[in-house]
Amino acid sequence: MKPRSQALLRLFAVQASYTYERMLGIGVGHAAMPLLRNVLATRSARARHEAVARSADFFNAHPYLAGVAVGAEVKAEQDGASSAVISRLRTALSGPLGSLGDQLIWAGWVPALVGVALAAATWAGIWAVLAIVVIHNLLRFRLMSWGLDLGLREGLGVGAALQRSWLPRAAKDAQRAAAFAVGLAIPIVVWRTLAGASRIHVTITLLVGLTGAAVSVLPATRSRVTGLRLGLLLVGLAVLVAGGVR
Amino acid sequence: MMPSPVEIVGTLAWGTVVGLDLVSVPQGLLSRPLVAATVTGLLVGNITGGLMAGMVLELYALDVLPIGASRYPDYSVAAVAGGVAGALVTPTLAVGVAGLIGLPMAAVGGWTLQTLRRRNALSVRRRLERVAAGDGRAIWELQRNGMLRDALRSFGLAVIGSGLAIVVTRVPWDEFANARVLSWAVLAGGIAAALGGAVRSAGRGARRRWLAVGLATGTIVVLLR
Repeated sequence: MKPRSQALLRLFAVQASYTYERMLGIGVGHAAMPLLRNVLATRSARARHEAVARSADFFNAHPYLAGVAVGAEVKAEQDGASSAVISRLRTALSGPLGSLGDQLIWAGWVPALVGVALAAATWAGIWAVLAIVVIHNLLRFRLMSWGLDLGLREGLGVGAALQRSWLPRAAKDAQRAAAFAVGLAIPIVVWRTLAGASRIHVTITLLVGLTGAAVSVLPATRSRVTGLRLGLLLVGLAVLVAGGVR
Repeated sequence: MMPSPVEIVGTLAWGTVVGLDLVSVPQGLLSRPLVAATVTGLLVGNITGGLMAGMVLELYALDVLPIGASRYPDYSVAAVAGGVAGALVTPTLAVGVAGLIGLPMAAVGGWTLQTLRRRNALSVRRRLERVAAGDGRAIWELQRNGMLRDALRSFGLAVIGSGLAIVVTRVPWDEFANARVLSWAVLAGGIAAALGGAVRSAGRGARRRWLAVGLATGTIVVLLR
């Protein structure tokens, strides 16, 4: 397998040894190794080992965009950049790659796809669910591959190349699509789940849900009230109410 | 209804895959509750029950943004357990029983993720000299052990969650006068989670308008049905 393909494959497991101290560092080092071995083949074993050690240092980014950093670092090592410059490159890339990735993926295309599947599952069933898995993985593979190549091409100039790329614009569009899709899904899921319930039960469920949403948004309570906590509280109350035997 | 041994083995294997998918490998959307619970429904012979469980647990997961070092609940294996529960009870109780199992399991799963990360850090510290010397073998060992640890964590959660789901579905829910309240409570929490998360995430600009347009479109779709 070619070094680039090996690196790409290893990027799927870039968070396998995730820690709060090094974040993705070890995974990035693991992904960079085949490329470093290839481009530094003519250097001394010590130089290669030092490059591998640098690549496994602390690093944080969105996992799907970690390939940008892997590629850029390998290119910088190939071009003979100093250890201090490579360290600055990693630090400089952490913020943008994390922020752009979170906006594009976690707050963008993932909720957008999930929202569409939630809305469509009522009619398309499991096919809607399987479709988003396929679409997501095609998009994800394309993004990872593009990111690795961008890094390998641009090296130390990758930060500017990222800003010029389609990513910032796509992140904004993806977040709008996500807001629409989640909004679309909520009434449909509610309707599907409450099918057959009386009007009073539908009204009470909606009122409780909307009140919970308002509480989780208010500045005074938003840090303490999470969806899970609200859900656990409501389930606890419901168990007490449901406890009466017919 | 009790799942067959083959169905149980399939569910535990799926739970392990789903738990690994959340963080370690491959992060391919398998860990989303909608996917995890629906496939679980398929495995235990009731896709609709799994789908219903997945839809409502997904509303909770939409509240979560797994950014940086943030700590969050793990809805992946929890959705497998919820999917088992949803698939084994009558349709009107699927959502309620799935939430009864899935929500506490998500909290426990989140705690196990933190424990896993601390254990990974210990493993790195043990190999610190080798990693600092650029030893590729040490880096590979860390990756491999991290995946094995996560697989073990996910399998353990799948065993506990699926076991609890089977026990809870043996309760004669039909004899309880207000059993459906459980489903409505789980749904109300899901509405709060998804809507609250969407409003917070949308901020004040164009995204909030898109959210409003989405809500209006969804409402119109429902009214036209």
